[in-house]
Amino acid sequence: MDPVHLPVTKQEQAAVDKIYNRMDELEDLNMKLGMRSKKDWSCAYYLPEMGNTPSRGDYLAWSESSAINYVNSALGARTNRNSMGVDMLCDILGKAPLFGLMTDEGRQAVWLIEVKTTKLPHPEMLGSAIGLKVMEDVSYITGMDRFIKGVDEQSSGYLKDLGAATASNGAVGLYHMEGVTPEAVDKGRDLLNEGYQTYVIDDAELDRIYKSYPNLWKDKQGTPQRVFLGCPHMTLGQMTEWGERIVDAMEKAGKDKIGVPTYMFGSQYVKDAFEKKNPEVVKKLNGYGVSIPINCPMMWCSTPVEGAELVATNSNKTRVYTTARFFFDDVLTELIVTGKLPTNVA
Amino acid sequence: MAKATFKGRPAVAGSVEGSAEVSHIGFNTCATYVDVLISGSDSGVCQDHDNTDLFGHDLAGKIVCIPQTIGSSSAATLFMIILDKGIAPKAMLFANHIDSLAACGILMGDNWLGKRIVTVDLLGDDFLDAVKTGDKVKVHEDGTIEVG
Repeated sequence: MDPVHLPVTKQEQAAVDKIYNRMDELEDLNMKLGMRSKKDWSCAYYLPEMGNTPSRGDYLAWSESSAINYVNSALGARTNRNSMGVDMLCDILGKAPLFGLMTDEGRQAVWLIEVKTTKLPHPEMLGSAIGLKVMEDVSYITGMDRFIKGVDEQSSGYLKDLGAATASNGAVGLYHMEGVTPEAVDKGRDLLNEGYQTYVIDDAELDRIYKSYPNLWKDKQGTPQRVFLGCPHMTLGQMTEWGERIVDAMEKAGKDKIGVPTYMFGSQYVKDAFEKKNPEVVKKLNGYGVSIPINCPMMWCSTPVEGAELVATNSNKTRVYTTARFFFDDVLTELIVTGKLPTNVA
Repeated sequence: MAKATFKGRPAVAGSVEGSAEVSHIGFNTCATYVDVLISGSDSGVCQDHDNTDLFGHDLAGKIVCIPQTIGSSSAATLFMIILDKGIAPKAMLFANHIDSLAACGILMGDNWLGKRIVTVDLLGDDFLDAVKTGDKVKVHEDGTIEVG
């Protein structure tokens, strides 16, 4: 929990204390096992600011479905989808079973995903479509090098979110993106096994999937009470982008306070870097009332009492596991500024 | 006499029979049991709102028939928790091969808690097309499944 930047009521805190009543013991145990500090908690623990970025070809034994997906796909490291617990056992032992995504054969694609959208698709929507279709299979994605030229500070956030959505809507541990991800850049379509299946994703297909998402709010037409951005935790690039977007929108609207409590989630390290590199933006965000908490938005939404709130989010992963509703960035921006959803949003 | 018989691979062998709960959508273990994980709920009712086949169904003691499991790496922990609470399915029958997360959780529960979810995989799409929610299903030690 981050009670400073995501304050909770006494009732909400009591619910959390009851569930996580052994958190201190767990933290002490993790410190003994090698965690450097209690600032280290983050689902995006491979980001440069965390100091734990694997290299291509590194053998790992990781859990956290979004992290597994990112390091396999965007960095070319090698880990299977390990469960919580098994990862710890492997890491203590220093060994992991060599199979699946740790092998050349296991990293071959059996799906060709042809992206034929008219513009860069939202990563969480594209990831949702892919995850729902391929489930666990490795896919080779084409059509994205129109928009993305490689893995860099800007694209890493996009690839992270795409992968997280494939791993929560499906069970994807690895995707290759033609012209973008390292193995695809080197091997191209040699990564496709004979007899692969093809899935075409266009604007209509993404629209179909978006419309299939259920509205689980008790008050279906209710006004969101919070906006949660960043699940998995934001990269520095994403935090900067959203920070500037909110500032720009608020200045255009002539507003000095946001219309709905808004939270940008990231690790302490990324937050520190963001605040250091963008002091003017941060000052404005603070003035508007935007918070940057370090906790997990998905777990927060899953906690009783907290889970009853109407939360709007840009994360498909949060949508999968909670009652939070997924909206696109322009809708969320308008909501943040005005406190209301656009009238044309169902 | 069974209306159909299928043969799979007994990943965790056993003989059980019960009522089928069938999904053609990937079984998201974390989303299904998120209340169990976070708030300690004792209910085996599926909470996964994306799974229109199983949402709201009580899976405790049932024979769950699915393509495979998907979603969070907390799945293995969840299998152990639902076994410990006595709200686990009686059996998990996979059309595809079992995935690493389900395998870990079911095996850890079996070895460390001494509680078993009988598990058979590689049953094929024909199995999932044939079995319907509510069907009587018999699972045999050698991975033979009788439906109906």
